[in-house]
Amino acid sequence: MAVDIQSSIGQLPVGEARFVGKSVKRVEDPLLVTGRVEFIDNVVLPGMLHCAILRSPYAHARIRSVDVSEARKLPGVFAVVTGEDAKRWTQPGPASPEGWGAHCLAVDKVRFVGEPVAAVAATSRYVAEDAIELINVDYDPLPPVVDAFKAAQADGPLVFEDKGTNIMYQRVFKWGEVDDAFRDADRVFTEQFRWHRLGANPMETFGVVSQWDPVDGSVTIHGAYQAPTHMAIGRAIVLQLPMNKVRVIGHPHGGSFGGKGGARGTDITALLSRKTGGRPVKWIEDRIEYITGGGSQAWDRHYEVALAVKKDGTVTGLKVKLLDDLGATGEGFGAIGAAKPLASFTGCYAIPVAEYDLTLVATNKLPAGPYRGMGPPPHNFVLEQMMDIAARGLGIDPAEIRRKNFIPPDRFPYTIASGNEYDSGEYEAALNTVLEMSDYSRLRQEQAEARKRGRYLGIGVVSTIEPGVFDWNAYAIVGVPGTGVPEGVTVSIDLFGKILVNVGFPIEGQGQYTLATQILADYFGVELADVRVVMQDTLSAPPNFGPGGSHLGVALTGAILGAADRLRDKLVAVAARLMQTEAQHVELKEGKLRIKGVPGAEMPVAQVAAVMLTRSDLLPPDMEQRPEATYVWTSPGRTPADDQGRAKSYLTAANACHVALVEIDPGTGKVAILKYWIADDCGVRLNPANVEGMIDGGVAQGVGAALLEEYVYNEEGQLLTSTFMDYLLPTIHDVPVTEKKGLVTPSPFTPLGAKGVGEGAIHTTPAAIMCAINDALLPLGVRTTEVPATPQRLWTLMRSAQQPS
Amino acid sequence: MKPPPFEYAAPGTVQEAIALLQQHEGEAKILAGGQSLMPLLNMRLARPGILIDLNKVTDLDYIRETNGALAIGAMTRKRTVEDSALVKSHQPLLHAATVLIAHPQIRNRGTVGGSMAQADPAAEYPAIAVALDAELQAAGPRGSRSIKASDFFVSYLTTALEPNEVLAEVRFPAVPRGTGWSVMEVARRHGDFAMTGVAVTTALDAKGQFSAARIVLFGVGPTPVRARAAEQVLTGQKPSEGLLAQAAQKVNDAIEEPLSDVHASAEYRRHLAQVLTRRALAEALTRTGTGQ
Amino acid sequence: MAAKRQVRLTVNGTQYEASVEPRMTLVDFLRGELGLNGTHVGCEHGVCGACTILLEGRAVRACLMLAVQADGANIMTVEGLAPDGKLHPIQEAFIEEHGLQCGFCTPGFLMSVYELLHDNPNPSEEAILDSLGGNICRCTGYQSIRKSVRLAAEKVRTSSSAPQGG
Repeated sequence: MAVDIQSSIGQLPVGEARFVGKSVKRVEDPLLVTGRVEFIDNVVLPGMLHCAILRSPYAHARIRSVDVSEARKLPGVFAVVTGEDAKRWTQPGPASPEGWGAHCLAVDKVRFVGEPVAAVAATSRYVAEDAIELINVDYDPLPPVVDAFKAAQADGPLVFEDKGTNIMYQRVFKWGEVDDAFRDADRVFTEQFRWHRLGANPMETFGVVSQWDPVDGSVTIHGAYQAPTHMAIGRAIVLQLPMNKVRVIGHPHGGSFGGKGGARGTDITALLSRKTGGRPVKWIEDRIEYITGGGSQAWDRHYEVALAVKKDGTVTGLKVKLLDDLGATGEGFGAIGAAKPLASFTGCYAIPVAEYDLTLVATNKLPAGPYRGMGPPPHNFVLEQMMDIAARGLGIDPAEIRRKNFIPPDRFPYTIASGNEYDSGEYEAALNTVLEMSDYSRLRQEQAEARKRGRYLGIGVVSTIEPGVFDWNAYAIVGVPGTGVPEGVTVSIDLFGKILVNVGFPIEGQGQYTLATQILADYFGVELADVRVVMQDTLSAPPNFGPGGSHLGVALTGAILGAADRLRDKLVAVAARLMQTEAQHVELKEGKLRIKGVPGAEMPVAQVAAVMLTRSDLLPPDMEQRPEATYVWTSPGRTPADDQGRAKSYLTAANACHVALVEIDPGTGKVAILKYWIADDCGVRLNPANVEGMIDGGVAQGVGAALLEEYVYNEEGQLLTSTFMDYLLPTIHDVPVTEKKGLVTPSPFTPLGAKGVGEGAIHTTPAAIMCAINDALLPLGVRTTEVPATPQRLWTLMRSAQQPS
Repeated sequence: MKPPPFEYAAPGTVQEAIALLQQHEGEAKILAGGQSLMPLLNMRLARPGILIDLNKVTDLDYIRETNGALAIGAMTRKRTVEDSALVKSHQPLLHAATVLIAHPQIRNRGTVGGSMAQADPAAEYPAIAVALDAELQAAGPRGSRSIKASDFFVSYLTTALEPNEVLAEVRFPAVPRGTGWSVMEVARRHGDFAMTGVAVTTALDAKGQFSAARIVLFGVGPTPVRARAAEQVLTGQKPSEGLLAQAAQKVNDAIEEPLSDVHASAEYRRHLAQVLTRRALAEALTRTGTGQ
Repeated sequence: MAAKRQVRLTVNGTQYEASVEPRMTLVDFLRGELGLNGTHVGCEHGVCGACTILLEGRAVRACLMLAVQADGANIMTVEGLAPDGKLHPIQEAFIEEHGLQCGFCTPGFLMSVYELLHDNPNPSEEAILDSLGGNICRCTGYQSIRKSVRLAAEKVRTSSSAPQGG
């Protein structure tokens, strides 16, 4: 049955939408504020045991032997597993690039500090930790490789000996006549940048309870998963089970931001459960485990960038060379973060040609994983820095050089050099909005006066794209297959007229259950309280992905409207028969099925649904007794990637323009963010409060990225920042109150015109703050190119400028 | 991360605590506020045979004033110090330092004695104790003894307390009227341990010249660092920007074994010490009365 | 294993008695032994504040206390805010101002705010920041939390459920 999903709120079968487009209070919140949501650590099953994992203290070593005999004897210990069990019962996990995966417990060698080597299931986590201390591992340490450049060279320690190299991937993409553009440019600006490792750190770490069924050889897994279906696929592969023997039940979880992790922990607990003959085994990852061994790290990058410009400021070409240190294996899918920049490679600018020289290298560090933004935040940082460098070099104001290069509004849909298509945009309108909000010319005056008094005030003006609604083809270049990300839901009406929507994903904070509720309440003309969202596990849910890649708001809307439309068609057919007319004369409006143009000839939705369930005699022939419909939405018009990685991948392109005012204390190098303005255009806002929440959260993570967060490894591959004392998350003191304005340039391609915004301002804030910092440093003639801009780094830089030569 | 197994005792008096320390010599650790020790236990970096919990010893929680001097029981919560009108009026430097410590939830449990006994190089209280010439009362099997703050902090996380002694009280002598004060620090985030900090007290004579100055740095060495050479630059001189800058530069001489970590190198800390000293002296002067 | 010790305490007005190993942390005790799962574990280093509870009315980190130390204590956890299902004004304020997203840090924030409003019914922005500097949120960026606390202060001032001393 073909459906024609509504492209704007005005097309919903309701006069005026009461809920969609409004900041309705979230349906998730009452359970959350009372502490009653079932986070994974609440789960207690009969016979449940607790897992602790013994992890490698070495970054690189051969394992000569693992002696678990003492651990086994400790009272309260019921099972111990090692790499031998992993080798016997599992495959190495899926990885990107393919072939760079490893077993869940180290087999023969360890490749990073924190890599699991053995695990215990015991009566409590306390006892399990006592037990792992009794395991004796005989290591033969090997020299680690920790520097990305050294790793890329031929002579040196190999993380995977059988690969003969540490280079996981190397390729140069040339989109258009790049060399000509650089040869013909009036000026070419170049710079190198360093972005240090950082990562998700949701407040809840990963957790899982796995239970093996020894009779039918299946596994049931409860876990804090961002994307349960995706996880189930990986588990089936690793545990060598058919997918219908893997049941994954996602739990509401305390944030994810891409980096929840959980693959190894799930597989290890499944093995332990198998070894105990089927007792459930729980593992709650502790914070140190998360930081050193979990989904916590991303974007360990060395950039060399070049911008070709005409003297009037028109940018004619962009070259980005990236050396990305992915750590010990590809199991974290950090490679995806190096591919995603293709979706918005040239940002908001009409840069016609570009080049991407990409090298992914393995080192003895934690395998890099996903983190909100999935790669563009550092890419946007370098692009925006280059725009500023060009602006200064040419004597043009940074806001004006951007304006000059924006893709004009009448050129959409616009295909960028790297192949993706932007749906719509009004970049100049956003820029003007934020310049007005910040009173930009007065800010520059303020800055001039402050400079005279020896203060280091800086203003950053940046404009970025936030690609939304991801597709797998965006990652084709690193071997991820397929196009289309299905997101399916089932909508049904019960005997008493209440609405149920079944989804495949648990709550993780973006308010998606509220969005589902809003849409259905308006669609069927009921109250919010009449709609309930219930998650199904991976053996019951239709194909779905869940949150990720700023996809779910749009995809969920599409899936719900698709299902609702199908359900409406059934109700219309039944109502028509009951009102003795043709279906084409009946419409759904304000919660009633009514004959068009005949006032009073109507039936409430609830009544029609009840008839469907109780009066088969009254139904049209071939009509199922089923006021229910399923729809699986996917982005329309996706194309497979060509040999240069070009594809219509991310469906939407939201835009944000930020202005940041900072001050640097020259005595200490500390940066204070004095003021911050945002003009954000993510199309139609289906729940403005939710959208603002995504932006605010992204700003905070952007502040963390720019000023605070960094994982530091020493030459031995030991992580020096392994706790929250040293890995610094922004607190309420660190995040400025921002002034925000929303613009609405709808997407012509999405249901209701919304664009993905779940990854929010992390795409923009690091660039804004770093550009502001460098603007502050201008009088000194120095520039910082390293993120985060710690007080010591800035002080050292400023001092070097002030030393007499 | 879960603590390793340990025995536990919660004595009701100082004497009982001392007896337990003697009984379990070498195996015991004292639990006061727990804000430093519990993370170490959770990470299994501390493995005492027995934990001696002082939280049931009720007679160590007091702030008493005698002729302007304050005696503070070792188990007094930092929050109590923060809220104390006595401390605000008699020891404003102590109050100001207290407010810099971490966050309210930490101060609600953390104790004065615990901080002193922990002797973290980046902590405020040890530096304040040295700046104010505090005296720390240790109770042991052979009775009480008084240890000067300048003798109390021996080296990294090590004090002059004997293994069988309990810190019972910290005494802050009366502060002469008109004494100026300031405490400043540079940390990565509000409430974090200082990368570098300084506590200063200043006094001016009737001619408006420095009659006394105390400069104590923290975060730059294993123990609080008293910058005597810098103090001497000031004594007998009239305050001026140039003089303060000179004194600030001199603090470098006192830093012998600088600390260094991922957040701040030794060089950076030395520089911060100078910047903070100059700023803190300027601030202290605004609070200094003349005519000693 | 060290000998277990008896612990008697009151949590949210209910008396409990249990026998615990000395090394069990208070947060593990509240969750595992008493089934009060609203208090969460975020780090076990005492930094993130997700485990914040009220001990004799004072906000403390339950991961930095041992269960045995709570013998004789009077404790309030997030479950004590809405004992009969009726939301406390502070909870209502957080919902109205969207002061939460994933909700994991929220109970810790609520307990810190409860203490703040008890001490300071009309807190300045600075007082709010000081009180909440030790509670980390990764989702909201704190903007909506600030608004929630201001609204909570107003609601508490104008209602009859001003926080008691716990």
